[in-house]
Amino acid sequence: MRAGSISRRLTIGMALVGVIGTTLLFLFVAIEYGMTWSTFTDPGELPRVTRELSEHVLMPVLVLILPMTLLARWVIRTALAPLAGAAAQIDAASGMARGFRIGTDPLPPEARPFAQSVNALLERLDRAAADQEAFAADVAHELRTPLTLLALEADRLEAEPAARLRGDIGHMRRLIDQLMLLAQLDADLAARIPQAPIRLADLAADVAGRMAPLAIAQDRRIAVEDEGAPEILGRREAVAAALRNLVENALRFTPVGGTVTIRVGPGATLAVQDEGEGLSPERLAQLCRRHGRGDRASADGAGLGLAIVDRIMAAHAGTLAAGPERGTLRLRFPPAGD
Amino acid sequence: MRLLMIEDNARLAGLTVEGLARRGFSCDVAPDLETAGAALDAAAFDLLILDLGLPDGDGLAWLRAKRLTGDLPPALVLTARDALEDRVAGLDAGADDYLVKPFELDELAARIRALLRRPGTRAPVTLEVGPLRFDTSSRAVHAGARPVELTRRETDLLELLMRRAGAVVRRETIENALYTFDEPVTPNAVEAIVSRLRRRLDEAGAAGLLHTVRGVGYLMQEPR
Repeated sequence: MRAGSISRRLTIGMALVGVIGTTLLFLFVAIEYGMTWSTFTDPGELPRVTRELSEHVLMPVLVLILPMTLLARWVIRTALAPLAGAAAQIDAASGMARGFRIGTDPLPPEARPFAQSVNALLERLDRAAADQEAFAADVAHELRTPLTLLALEADRLEAEPAARLRGDIGHMRRLIDQLMLLAQLDADLAARIPQAPIRLADLAADVAGRMAPLAIAQDRRIAVEDEGAPEILGRREAVAAALRNLVENALRFTPVGGTVTIRVGPGATLAVQDEGEGLSPERLAQLCRRHGRGDRASADGAGLGLAIVDRIMAAHAGTLAAGPERGTLRLRFPPAGD
Repeated sequence: MRLLMIEDNARLAGLTVEGLARRGFSCDVAPDLETAGAALDAAAFDLLILDLGLPDGDGLAWLRAKRLTGDLPPALVLTARDALEDRVAGLDAGADDYLVKPFELDELAARIRALLRRPGTRAPVTLEVGPLRFDTSSRAVHAGARPVELTRRETDLLELLMRRAGAVVRRETIENALYTFDEPVTPNAVEAIVSRLRRRLDEAGAAGLLHTVRGVGYLMQEPR
């Protein structure tokens, strides 16, 4: 059942009181002054009837009902104002670290149980976020040590298949890294980790600098072109991971001797352009679905990589889009202050 | 060159030490912080490889305490934790570098070499990248057997790049290292020195070592 608004219910209630009150008063007045059905039908009696009724029925009803209605509306508005304040508090807290609770003191006692329930819910959410983070850390620890051992054992082997084995271990490692990043991101979102200002040009140079040695070893280049971008608000490590995923992706599609270009701006954007064929918007949307079925191209973790980028962008109220230039994927952020 | 690995997983430590030995590093193992402390008192080490989450205490807290009280060789932290917060905490605590498990031995060896090339470590006096050798005491440069003649600035730049071989050095870092505060730096000054240096290296037969990462900086790296 849907409840109507309090004002609406108040109006209906007051109207009901008015009707009942008027009817009762009318009956009393009629009996008191000895009015009968003939009195009302007699045109000679009309001035008296009108006077008596307006004096003893209409006036009292109006005098009572009108101030009561206004007062009741005022009481309801002022009583509910702290709730609106609490709602504003909750909205404003969306960027805050965990541990946020509604202040119950300004609320009327009738609304406190509700606020306390909301606080209990917030606490459960905080605990769930903490549990998930701890679980992600556990998974990482449990998986990484055996994988390290596996990699170390594989390093001792000299036969030709050992190289393939090491390649497979490398893939597993990347996949685990990406899964961990996703878990971390989800936990951060639940925990409402605060955002910090990020200089995109600086971040791009950082990511390019870290990835260039490997790219150069594979005879590919990475370049940064800074066309000017404003500061954005976000989580630096997450945005860097998004950019890193795009560059890794681009390197895979760039032929030997080619260059992957990171373009910073204009505006709050980061674009990564490779010298490959590029992705159609449909293919991009397909790769961004975390559980995309019928996609066999993600054996090397590429599909998961773009799904992670998409999630990171969503967490920053931004977008990941293909184009418009060929072979370009673009991250677009809302400018800081939005 | 002597390394100390602090790691409680005996099998992991054994395999790592073995792998590092194949790459020319000799490495001792301490299974916990107490043993590590004793080993550091008994002998001089050039580098620590520290695993976090040891049985007898927090590795980062230990590192911070050790850094405060005396001199400690550079430390490379190994961990299964991968959150940025941990990374920052590790570097603040006095770790010089950070490697996340599962690591590759080649990468571990590369990081060790990079840390040992840093100024202040007692380790190598000769920096090597491919056929290029830089003697940090005489500041002489050789490509193979051939001496390479460089100006002071070119030598400074080469040393900076060779000390960080395998990593990109940002252009701002080069500007700050090569020019004093009050010296005016023209926008293309660094580019000009780099291209002169590259020409001299090419002429000396050490081509293909100095790479440009456009918009970021420069990188010394031998081709694989």
